[in-house]
Amino acid sequence: MKTAERVASEPQAQPASPVRPRNRFRRFLSLVDLKASPYLLVSPYFILFLIFGAFPLGFTLWVSLHDWQLAGDKEWIGLDNYQFLLTNERFRMTVVNTIGMFVLATVPQLLLALMVANALNKRFRGRLLIRLGVLIPMVTSVVAVAIVFSQIYGTKYGMVNWFLGNFGVDPIDWRKTSLASWVAISSMVDWRWTGYNAIIYLAAMQAIPRVLYEAATVDGASSRRQFWHITVPQLKPVIIFTVFISTIGGLTLFAEPMMFNSGRLDGGTTGQFQTVAMYIVQAFRERNNYGLAAAAAWLLFALIVVIALANYLVVNRIRESR
Amino acid sequence: MSTVTSRTRADAATEPADRRPTRRLRPRRNRSGAGVHVWDATPLTRIAIGATIILSIFPLYWMIVVASRDASAATTFPPPMTPGGNLADNVSTAINDDSSNLVKGLINSFIVSGTVAFSVVVISTLAGFAFAKLRFKGSTVLLAIILLTMAVPLQHIGIVPLYIMMIELGWVNTLQAVILPFLVNGFGIFLMRQYTIQAVPDELVEAARIDGASTLRIYWNIVLPAVRPGIAVLGLLTFMQNWNEFLWPLIALSPDNPTVQVAIQQLTTGNYSADYSMIFTGTLLSILPLLIVFIAFGKQIVGGIMEGGVKA
Amino acid sequence: MISKAARRTKLRWLVGVAAIALLAPACGGDDDSSSGSSSDEPVTLTVNVFGGDGFGYDNLVKQYEQQHPNITVDYNVVTDDYDNEYRPQLIQQLDAGSGAGDVVAIEEQGVGQMMSMDDAWVDLSDYGLDSRESDYPAWKWDLGHTNDGKLAGLGTDVGGMAMCYRTDLFKQAGLPTNRDQVAAMWQDWDGFTQTAQKFVDSGVDSAFIDSPNQIYNIRLVQEAGNGDGTSYFDRDNNYILADSPAVKTAFDYVLQLNDMGAIGKFQNWTDEWNVAMEAGGFATMGCPAWMAGVIESTSGKQNAGNWDMAPVPGVSGNWGGSWLAVPAQSDHPEEAAALADFLTQPSSQLAAYKAISVFPSAPEAQQNPAVADSKNAYFNDAPVGQIISDSITSFQPVYYGELHSAVRAAVEDVLYGVVEGTYSDDEAWDAFVSAGQEVVDTSG
Repeated sequence: MKTAERVASEPQAQPASPVRPRNRFRRFLSLVDLKASPYLLVSPYFILFLIFGAFPLGFTLWVSLHDWQLAGDKEWIGLDNYQFLLTNERFRMTVVNTIGMFVLATVPQLLLALMVANALNKRFRGRLLIRLGVLIPMVTSVVAVAIVFSQIYGTKYGMVNWFLGNFGVDPIDWRKTSLASWVAISSMVDWRWTGYNAIIYLAAMQAIPRVLYEAATVDGASSRRQFWHITVPQLKPVIIFTVFISTIGGLTLFAEPMMFNSGRLDGGTTGQFQTVAMYIVQAFRERNNYGLAAAAAWLLFALIVVIALANYLVVNRIRESR
Repeated sequence: MSTVTSRTRADAATEPADRRPTRRLRPRRNRSGAGVHVWDATPLTRIAIGATIILSIFPLYWMIVVASRDASAATTFPPPMTPGGNLADNVSTAINDDSSNLVKGLINSFIVSGTVAFSVVVISTLAGFAFAKLRFKGSTVLLAIILLTMAVPLQHIGIVPLYIMMIELGWVNTLQAVILPFLVNGFGIFLMRQYTIQAVPDELVEAARIDGASTLRIYWNIVLPAVRPGIAVLGLLTFMQNWNEFLWPLIALSPDNPTVQVAIQQLTTGNYSADYSMIFTGTLLSILPLLIVFIAFGKQIVGGIMEGGVKA
Repeated sequence: MISKAARRTKLRWLVGVAAIALLAPACGGDDDSSSGSSSDEPVTLTVNVFGGDGFGYDNLVKQYEQQHPNITVDYNVVTDDYDNEYRPQLIQQLDAGSGAGDVVAIEEQGVGQMMSMDDAWVDLSDYGLDSRESDYPAWKWDLGHTNDGKLAGLGTDVGGMAMCYRTDLFKQAGLPTNRDQVAAMWQDWDGFTQTAQKFVDSGVDSAFIDSPNQIYNIRLVQEAGNGDGTSYFDRDNNYILADSPAVKTAFDYVLQLNDMGAIGKFQNWTDEWNVAMEAGGFATMGCPAWMAGVIESTSGKQNAGNWDMAPVPGVSGNWGGSWLAVPAQSDHPEEAAALADFLTQPSSQLAAYKAISVFPSAPEAQQNPAVADSKNAYFNDAPVGQIISDSITSFQPVYYGELHSAVRAAVEDVLYGVVEGTYSDDEAWDAFVSAGQEVVDTSG
């Protein structure tokens, strides 16, 4: 059709046929569309990321190299803030606290999630309801949970101590020691996320080919062996994923430890459960020291990267057994 | 014990060709015939599941018990285990308490979380489509960058400059301050990419191209309808996740214009700081919207999480 | 007739605009003010205060709204924790240039820090309010000035100091419950120590005193006032905690009481402390005038008659007392200044006293029989006016440096650590000093 039109309109000087320019234009447009539209489609994300992601990251670095208050002069001090933090006992304690709570909040949680998923992988009635029941903790407000759990862990009036008291255990001051406070706070995180991770593992478990299990059963493997040598290795990618997500959540704990001490940022009388996130907020909110807060934020970032890598290396060593 | 049972059943399920026929029981499969373990639920399993459910629900139940009683409920031993009749009164007091702005918090959270969910869905479907079905230079690199950005918890690392930015823009204590930073959500793009790859056949896209459809038309007419379940899941999950954001709203907003998490935090320092029945009433109210969403859309949410887990 | 290409383009634009519109800022939550401050324009003024009971302005605010129909007052009690929540937030808001109210409260121990931020405040003398000088004792008036000499704050209340005690618990312990007898028992600190010992020996299942913080502060303020008037910082803002005799005396006293087992394992303003106040977890607590209101509302009607009030050992003392100031960022400084003026008038201070027992700082109000002869029914008709006035009369003001509040929060944590058992008596002083030093080092 196009050829005929061209032939027809070529020799004479005709009033410009509306077809030809539109044709070229349309082709040009669709070329542009083909080449450019993917970039246009992904651009909203990247624009937002540049403004609210990349720029703040860079700016944090910039602020951390200064003695920075909101009002007043910003003085360049180079790496002084970092030097201070890395040699400061209190900051080092917050790092230890953060890692400790992260371990207590992640390892039991994921192990429990694996076992719960395994249990859920059987046949029984009301599967959807059970799954919903297991997921309910995920739906609750973070601060609400922290408040309720903190009350349950009250020293004098909390239910946990009352329960333990029935067995002759002295009331534990859950806020006094590092370990007790870490256990209490981690239990909040474990409670919230075990069900969610269990459902994720369940889905992945259901995709494992039955043949593997049958073959193993023929070989005489016990169900426990099958679990650890078939199920878990098959779940490796999912486990890596959940470990990664939990790492980020665990290393940035903020709401739970804060509400555990009635909304204060000091993390206990000696800072025994102050996390790095709390330290950051305290530095710029209470001490008006934005440079120090920014430096602490970058150190937190470094910590996340290091630990995420370490996690990956550890989990990656789950090998399948043939 | 379960081992013995399962081995027997597995035996029964395999072809008799290799084994002595032990036609004891019918082979069990689930409806779809997918690879599901044929083990039945043992008593131990049932106990474990029961315990898990009880532990999952107990703190919520305790919240309801205290919220429906008065202040002394939280300090009496042995602790009361049944709800009382005070809930209606407590709710009305909590709603009218102006030291915590609970109602404002709920409304703000709806606006903020709703906007964030909607925007994330739009951005993620657009970008997910591009990564899934369009070939363009640098797509791998860009995708890798998005993966990297998922690794950075922006509201913690970037909190200082974000706050300074909000001050400079004059946006402290505004809702846009708590909406915009949360639109950077790489997880949504991955999820929608997966859905799009699965749900939209390449041939369909090719055919539409040949017919002269523009990219946008393909997106609007073909992709969007196909990934609707994914949109629902992403929207719900994003809404729920954003409802629970605490750190950044705490910094960026004032007590008189809070989101719901900040509002219930204020309950513990406001007029009723010593009255746990009031505090728990507030926390209950803050959970209610999510619970309703969860009960209404539970199946989709569970399905979405499971799909997301498989694809991870 | 639109061509197909054009229609496509149009659609693309539509979607593009829609996408941008989605990402554009949603309307913020600001309900506030109109431009221009003509006196008939409707104006909303935000008043932000702190404290377990606020400042008692509910009725005053309504009264002001009635007298000024175009003005709506949004009166907020932001939090009861001044040190850890209200103060940092206010500083952030002042620094940020937005988010603070039109009229904000400042507490005494934070006033040094606030007044060092000269540019943050409206000079109230621009609105003729330096005429208020005659309403105040000199020290209260002076503390309301910035380092540049701007009049930034008008005084509201003073805390004074008394000692509140639980008559029911005293009775159980075999101690006298009549307040004159109680006052005689603890005329000085040795007497207080002996009372503590008796209480502990009686075996009542309750702590003698609520927490280390308040008893420490009572002692500190007295000692500092009787000395050179400084505590953590000297008047040049040097950090002198380690060398301050007042601090050491107060510190040692807390350790002494703790060794006896007399101090409760609570920190003030925490959940458990609140609960213990109601449930009888401790028998005494330091009671500035405003604490009476807190005790009443926390302990509730069920405890009416269980609380009473006696003079504090050594009689003199002051904790708290505030000022109202107008941040420079306010959109309506003139109206805000007028409102602050109204709320701090001696008559208003009187009304606030009647509402929540906050003691007026204006001598005119103090001498009003309604205050001077007042009794608090909840506290068994204790002559609160008398007790508090006496405590202020002999009170010597103390200088609070810029970082006082922050240091205080940190070192009091250590005190609590001593009571918890985290620090032994030998370690405690060093931990105490270094906690304060940490704050000084990390502060901007």
